[in-house]
Amino acid sequence: MSGRGDDGVGVHPGDGVAVAHRGGPLAAGMRLPEWEVPEVDAEKMKTTAALLRDPTPIHWDTAALRALGMGDRAINQGPLNMAYVMNMLAGFAGGHDRVRRLRVRFRGNVRAGDRLRAGGVVTGVRTRQHGSSGETLCDCDIELSVVDGDTVLTGTATVALPEEGSDDE
Amino acid sequence: MSEPVGGAAATTADDVAAQVGRALPGGRFTVERWFAWLLADAALEQPHASAPDGAGDELAHPLLAWTAATQAMGVTWDELFAWFGSSADDGPMFGEHETVWHAPMRVGRTYLVSGEITSADRKSGRSGVFDVIGYAFRLHDEDNGAHVADCWNSLILPRRSS
Repeated sequence: MSGRGDDGVGVHPGDGVAVAHRGGPLAAGMRLPEWEVPEVDAEKMKTTAALLRDPTPIHWDTAALRALGMGDRAINQGPLNMAYVMNMLAGFAGGHDRVRRLRVRFRGNVRAGDRLRAGGVVTGVRTRQHGSSGETLCDCDIELSVVDGDTVLTGTATVALPEEGSDDE
Repeated sequence: MSEPVGGAAATTADDVAAQVGRALPGGRFTVERWFAWLLADAALEQPHASAPDGAGDELAHPLLAWTAATQAMGVTWDELFAWFGSSADDGPMFGEHETVWHAPMRVGRTYLVSGEITSADRKSGRSGVFDVIGYAFRLHDEDNGAHVADCWNSLILPRRSS
């Protein structure tokens, strides 16, 4: 797993603090810092299946996969694929508590051993009332792709941006 | 996946559509520290919730919203599939998902879950006949009643014998 900055958009992930306002304001068309999974781990799928009480054997039983003619690499749970995108958004906005909305469409399977890349692009920046004050929201298009392969998840998201000059910027 | 058996093949589009509006039993889910740690680890995120001397109330991974909802929806996945004459062996798939977080998920909190079936449509495509099932959840903080999150999902149920 790694976060990769893109100096061209003024964002620098990976330092554990908000990144979205560093290097200048955001605007539509700017790319989000990418977030990678170097190799999808089948053991994480087993943990996840147990946590979710997910009875679907394609996530943990390679013998069942082979019997079904589905190859021999376990298929990652959709929620884990969503979680990678949440991680990418959290790296961009400065924390998981800044992720306000995520909508995704599952377009393909991720298999054990795949290398993945999550990314996105800013589609708009707006303000809204939040409690007794306002907050700045950033809308994005997002995607998750197998590196050198197919896009497996697409969607939209909204994150809250840190206020300029705030402690968590 | 294997062929459905018994009544599954006989499930009609009307049978499926009749489930729209059916409430899920719902329930409550407490984000225990060990669960939050393992889920964050599986999601390849730093499992902050691991500190044994943590003061509590730490942020949990936002995937916990969907996880809490589905763990406390009041039926198992197999039971939910059976509402539509399907089973895990039919190869159910995620279609779409949306979560709106009104507040962060936190370790130690208990969330009340309610939900219902919102849509059920039979369709056909290159892979054959399938049903697209929409279902939604709401999460509220048990302590203060705050509306914490909304989740909407669609589930694709292949109808291999239809």
